[in-house]
Amino acid sequence: MNDLEARLLAAHARGDTRALVGLYTEAGEHANSAVAQGFYLTHAYVYALELGDVRATGLHARLVAMGRET
Amino acid sequence: MSRNTDLSAVRQPVTTALGLPNAHYTDPAVFAEEREALLFRQWAGLAVAADVPDPGDAKPLTFLGMPLLLLRGKDGTVRVFQNICRHRGMILVEEPRKIEGAIRCPYHSWCYSTEGRLVSTPHVGGPGQNTHDAIQRDALGLVEVRSQVWRDVVWINMSGDAPDFDVAMAGAIDRWREFDLPLYHGGADSRFTLEVQTNWKLAVENYCESYHLPWVHPGLNSYSRLEDHYNIEQPGAFSGQGTLVYRQLTDDNGTTFPDFPDVGEKWNEQAEYLAVYPNVLLGTHRDHAFAIILEPQGMDRTVEHIHLYYSVPDTDPALRARNTAQWKVVFEEDVFVVEGMQRGRHASGFDGGKFSPAMDGPTHCFHDWVAIQVEGYRMQAQAAE
Repeated sequence: MNDLEARLLAAHARGDTRALVGLYTEAGEHANSAVAQGFYLTHAYVYALELGDVRATGLHARLVAMGRET
Repeated sequence: MSRNTDLSAVRQPVTTALGLPNAHYTDPAVFAEEREALLFRQWAGLAVAADVPDPGDAKPLTFLGMPLLLLRGKDGTVRVFQNICRHRGMILVEEPRKIEGAIRCPYHSWCYSTEGRLVSTPHVGGPGQNTHDAIQRDALGLVEVRSQVWRDVVWINMSGDAPDFDVAMAGAIDRWREFDLPLYHGGADSRFTLEVQTNWKLAVENYCESYHLPWVHPGLNSYSRLEDHYNIEQPGAFSGQGTLVYRQLTDDNGTTFPDFPDVGEKWNEQAEYLAVYPNVLLGTHRDHAFAIILEPQGMDRTVEHIHLYYSVPDTDPALRARNTAQWKVVFEEDVFVVEGMQRGRHASGFDGGKFSPAMDGPTHCFHDWVAIQVEGYRMQAQAAE
């Protein structure tokens, strides 16, 4: 398990949604395929949306640009 | 379904009428019939808007088995939705809480705005693909239940086909037009619940007549005698009682609650108590008001949700506590009669009861309404077969 995976699991375990937005965004940056990137950024976006976090706007724009969100 | 009850005796004038048959209190099949006829097809009380005071506040509720969500949107509007996801029917909100951004379904994370719009469908078109031609978000918002707020009560029409609220409640709205003023919930010290082992209708019946007051509430005799009361009957809508002698509560210094402004001299001494059919009991006075929402939890179980209101947002906490305590005593005094009548309804052969034409008009008015609604429902069901 790499460090990012460990931090993601820890954030899930403590229900730290705010941290999950950043960690899934980070996972998206390091994804090795477009599908994987879309997957991780989607998770970041959904958690940001749930929180009403300002990062949702940027994540949404990225997903739209990738043809993965409307 | 058991054989239909005979309601012809209930429909007679009060001098010759009998009360509702026992089955309306003891038969699960009749309870199920009344759930549709008396509660889902009407404007029924669900909660109070004060339960969700701030934008984003969400409160899950169960109304006759139906999972609902009371939600104040970011736009400030109070709405009622079915508390389930449009995807797999999962319950969305388990506990009262603040929705900071969107409601995320805990199952597959479909997200809804606080106004009920479906705003995200993650992976719905495959991993990382959040759209699909077959998923039209505009058509998949939360299922909204028709609702209206009046006197802070959130009224719902589950069937969606009752007359408009303003039409259905025109009589009650007009009767208390002087009190069409802002109501301020007294807060945590001004709400309480009573769990009673009775059918919800018996709480209505007891509330709307003054006949029992001198016997069940002897504390009222010193200043509000039976002869000071009058009956209120609006067939098809509400019934209740009024008093011509209302004495304001005071603290040790003689201070009272501020009056509702400009309601007129008539209300200096007068107060009224309406059972607004089906399940909301309202009271109003020159200086405070209350709402009781009867939550039917079963054929013989009811939770009474009591809320007290004032004319201004800030009232004296000690006086408010005293008022809450005073009303709690009164409403608790009624528990043994509504529970006693419920147990009494298991006496086989009881004919529904004989009304006092002078004193029981408001109760008969309610029974007559029940009979009309149930008969109408049966006719419609029969026509549909």
